[in-house]
Amino acid sequence: MSRLPLLAAALLSCTAGAALSARWYVSPFPPPSEIRSAPGGAAEDMLALALGARRLFADIWFIRLMQYYGTPEQLVEEEVSENGGGLYLEFLPKSRHVLEIDPGFTAAALYSAGSLAFNLNRPKEAEELLGYALKYSPKEWKYLTMLAAIGYSKAEKPAVVAAAIAPILKDPDCPVMLKQLAAFLNKKAGNYAAAAAIYSDIAATSRDEAYVKNAKRELQILAGREAPAPAKGTAR
Amino acid sequence: MRPVLPVGAAVALNSFSESVRNRFFTIFAVFALAAIYASVLAGVMAVDQEGRVLADMGLVLMELTVLAYALFNASSVLLREAETKTIYLVFSRPVPRWAYLGGKLGGSLLTSVLMLAVMGLMHLLLLKLRGFGVPPGYAWALAGSFLKIAVITSFALFVSLFSTSSVSTLVISGVLWTAGHFAAETRFLASQAAGAKAAVLNAAVWLIPNFQLFNARDAAGAAAALPPAAFLSAAAWVLGTYLAALWLLSRKEF
Repeated sequence: MSRLPLLAAALLSCTAGAALSARWYVSPFPPPSEIRSAPGGAAEDMLALALGARRLFADIWFIRLMQYYGTPEQLVEEEVSENGGGLYLEFLPKSRHVLEIDPGFTAAALYSAGSLAFNLNRPKEAEELLGYALKYSPKEWKYLTMLAAIGYSKAEKPAVVAAAIAPILKDPDCPVMLKQLAAFLNKKAGNYAAAAAIYSDIAATSRDEAYVKNAKRELQILAGREAPAPAKGTAR
Repeated sequence: MRPVLPVGAAVALNSFSESVRNRFFTIFAVFALAAIYASVLAGVMAVDQEGRVLADMGLVLMELTVLAYALFNASSVLLREAETKTIYLVFSRPVPRWAYLGGKLGGSLLTSVLMLAVMGLMHLLLLKLRGFGVPPGYAWALAGSFLKIAVITSFALFVSLFSTSSVSTLVISGVLWTAGHFAAETRFLASQAAGAKAAVLNAAVWLIPNFQLFNARDAAGAAAALPPAAFLSAAAWVLGTYLAALWLLSRKEF
């Protein structure tokens, strides 16, 4: 009989501990109903939730997304493919899946939105993705800046788009693809000094050899050019 | 007569030194080192996200390694002492059962702390070698992992007192680990369900500890800070399962 209070205390303590955690915890993640399973990915998503390893599995999905985007498509011209063009019909669902697992993966959202809007010319899909990302990170200014840049890109004003993206470039989490894009847009608009500064940054900080090689090549080309008059760059 | 608390501390230290001397400790440490090194390969694949991937993979591997060792240790420590009759020798001396059980739990938790600390240092060294600093919220991530390990260790110790083998203890504890991480999803399902199904799911929500509250490594930056409720919740669950284990131990004849 004297042991019963011990059992009661044990039950009470466990229930209090569980109830406290249940009451306090507010999930920052999308509910399971929002996770659309990618091909062959349902088991991995289960594992991500069961092990509490959403970030790691989002990383894996992001690596897969980059591999998917990095693999040239058949029947697409080499030049188009080298510049990031092509169909890549699964790009949006794959990008969204990364954010469904970890909506806080800002770099993945920016990389995906940038690729969709500026390389694949699908700004609507980029806006849709950023809208989803903003749902779980409503205070993320980088998403809002990106949305603005996409808006300007529709008006075909490279200098304005480059200026809109500029604040994101200073962020250590900025995808190198966006830096490359900003440099390209500046070059297109005639802002060679700004383009060179961005290419220098890519050459110094990126871990992607392809981007580094391209940045060094562009720096050499830009070094041989004369800076145009400022009015010319902003005339568009 | 020796005071009771130092007796418990002596059991804890003995249990800790036994764990550290155990060859499995070395195996797991070597495994963790090799696994963290393997994560460098994954980091290379992530290109500009290498730092994030290295940090995430290292933290997950560390937690799983400590979890595996803690479960193995907690599920076998009491069984082993009963099989080798060591427990009879201990209880023939003036060692209270609560001090013995507390000591065993304390020893297991000390081992987990040591493992997390050693592997954490190795991980940070690896990150430094790859040119990265300490990831934001790193200490919180380790603290959260420890809270989860503490809860599951005390639960495994409790289960080992009524289960028939170490394997069944491991399985039951594994189920709690999974259910604990699914607590938020269970809550969502409970809100969508009705009738008996909703009642069962709601009961699960209020009984199973929500491991996501401790899961600081899945939260980014400042959001990784553990709230006081996380420490209180883990402490309550550790205490609850300790008391339940004590209840079972007090019913056994030694």
